[in-house]
Order: sequence, then C-alpha cells, then structure tokens
Amino acid sequence: MKLIITDLEDFKVPIEGSHKIIQPRGPVKNCIGCFGCWTRTPGRCVLYDGYENTGIDMSKCAELIFVSRCYYGSVSPFVKTVQDRAISYIHPDFVMRRGEMHHKRRYNNVILLSAYYYGENITDAEKETARKILEANADNYDGRVKEVYFYNSKEELEGIRI
Amino acid sequence: MKTALINGSPKVKGSASGILLEDLKAYLQETEAVDYGFHTAAAAKEMTEVLNQADALVFVFPLYVDGIPGHLLSCLGDLEAASCKNSRIHVYGIVNCGFYEGIQAEPALQVLKNWCAKAGYVWGGGVGIGGGGGLAQMPKTKSGHGPREPIEKALKALAEAICAGHVQKDQQGQDYRKTVENQYVSVAFPRFLYKLAAQMGWRQMMKANGGKARDLGRRPEDSED
Repeated sequence: MKLIITDLEDFKVPIEGSHKIIQPRGPVKNCIGCFGCWTRTPGRCVLYDGYENTGIDMSKCAELIFVSRCYYGSVSPFVKTVQDRAISYIHPDFVMRRGEMHHKRRYNNVILLSAYYYGENITDAEKETARKILEANADNYDGRVKEVYFYNSKEELEGIRI
Repeated sequence: MKTALINGSPKVKGSASGILLEDLKAYLQETEAVDYGFHTAAAAKEMTEVLNQADALVFVFPLYVDGIPGHLLSCLGDLEAASCKNSRIHVYGIVNCGFYEGIQAEPALQVLKNWCAKAGYVWGGGVGIGGGGGLAQMPKTKSGHGPREPIEKALKALAEAICAGHVQKDQQGQDYRKTVENQYVSVAFPRFLYKLAAQMGWRQMMKANGGKARDLGRRPEDSED
C-alpha cells in the first residue's frame, strides 16, 4: 500500500495500486510532546482529531510519499504536523544504527520514502536540505529513500503519476 | 540591544527548551533579553510586529522527526509574511535533540538558515544539543562541571556571538561579524548509560499510566481497540 501525506485539499495526481491519502480534512492539532503515543496508547496518538492513526497507517504501507509545498527545505506545516503525530510508528527505545542513536522498530515493514515538493523559487540550499531530511527520516524509520522531486508549482504536479 | 528569546516547544512550562533558554540568558547580561513563546501553530500579528523590532532572535526548540516542529514551522511562515524582507535582525537557533548526537539537529538548523534567506534576516548560527531528553533530570552543578558542561560551554560561545554580532560595525556601517559556525555537542554522560536511562524512563512512564513494560511494543492493529 502507498501512503500519501499531502497538504493539497484538491489532490488530483493519479496513483497506481492500492493507496491511502492523508490530506487536510479539518484542522490538525500539533504534537504536544506528551509521549502518550508511546506510554498511554502505544502506537496511536492521544489527540483525537482524525489524524491520530498515521503511525498505524505507516505500519501497513510499503511506500510513504510526501506531496508538499517546500517550506525552507522542510515539508509544509500540515504535512510536518501529521508526521510529528506519527512517531508511534517507531518504538521509544533506542538502538544504534550506523554509529548513531535511533529508535527501535515497532513493526517489520521497510518503508520506501519519496517526496514531491512544489513551490516557486525553491533554492538549491532548500533542495539540499530537503534531500538530507528525507535521508534522516529513512534512517529513523529504518527505511530507504526512493526519490525526491521538485516542481515549480502545484499545477506541474498534474502531469505526474505516483 | 534587544534580544528576543523564543521558546518553540509546544510545552508552555517544563520544557527542555525552557531550561536551555534560562541557561543562555545567564550569559546574555549585556543585552535586554525578553522571553516569547511559539507554543501553537499561529504567530499573533502583535508578536510578529514586536519581533521585527528586535536586534536578534534566538529560537530554541526540540527536534521533531529530523526537523522543526510543525507548529513552529507554521509560525515561521507567519513571520516571513510579516517581515520587511531587508531586515538586519540576526537569527540564532538552539535545537534540543533527544538522540545522543547533537549533529542530528543539523537539518533543522539548515531549515532555519533557509528561512532567514527567504524572510530577509541574517543567519548567525546555532547549536545542536544531543542528549536533551535528560536535561530536566540533570542537576545544575557548579559551572564548568557535570554532564551539562559541554552544553554550557556552547551556549556561552553562542551568547558571546550574539552580543558581539550587534556591536561590531565597520566604518561603512556594514556588519563585518563572521557567521558563527554551528556547534554540535552532547551531554557529558556515557552514551550507553543515556540509552539505558531512557529505557528505564519509558518503563516508569508506562507503569505510571497503568501499563506493563511489554506494552511499549504493542501493535494496535493487532489488539482489540
């Protein structure tokens, strides 16, 4: 299953195969750093606003795909907030991976990560940051990076296929 | 000289970011340091106007999934929209990282630097702090001693840069301050003990919430709920 997290309310990109899309459907609450998703309701965020199950969705996906406005090299606030609320995908305990501390796996699936960034005037520095962040995400999810793409506007996304 | 200290943690009280801000403030006695908070996803118009009057902005926030927390990212967008785009305000960042290696905060500092370029601010540099998850439990010891010593040293160097950056002008009125190199530090505490202490902490929290240690690894799709 492909899990797409996008900030586009009118997401029109054709998707091949089974998929789930998480997109703005009402306000998203920001992570409050309570760690309840690890120690109260393990695997699920404790803020119930329709975005609490992303960690579970991630456990069922083979590919995680961000389609987002580029925000200074990061994904946009909506996509980042959904991502922040999904740390329950991983286990709170630490492990060492390639000489760095990361979190232990909760699930067995290995996620392939892709990002489709759009926005006017995305700078080279922002592109470099975006690639680094996706690599870091892959390290923390114990997954792999597939691709990172950049588009000058959200309209350009209409020509792609995921 | 006015320095705005911006706590970017979602927690209003009791955050590691708050501890770091207090530590930094002790080294900023030459400036008028004022506390602000971005704890939710919107920056009030009044606050963006006040921040645009400061000489320096210092953002202190936790590392969230290799980057800036979503709510703070939203506030940065609001600040960019309110910026006059040719400001000489200097910006610094302190990132508190739950992992042991401060270098894992590098991408978050890069995002802040990229934001400066878009919003018209001057990037001053930052500090990535590893082992931040234990800060609240670490007693304040005599300066230059204890597990927080590397952090204190980095914050002191950053404070000196903040102060110096605003008083040094060349004859043409141009700022000749060198950009401060980012510093990446960790608590002076063995990594394996930090890892062990964190694991014990999660088990204590789980038990306090009425669960058992093995519940930490629960997979909710397999359970009844």
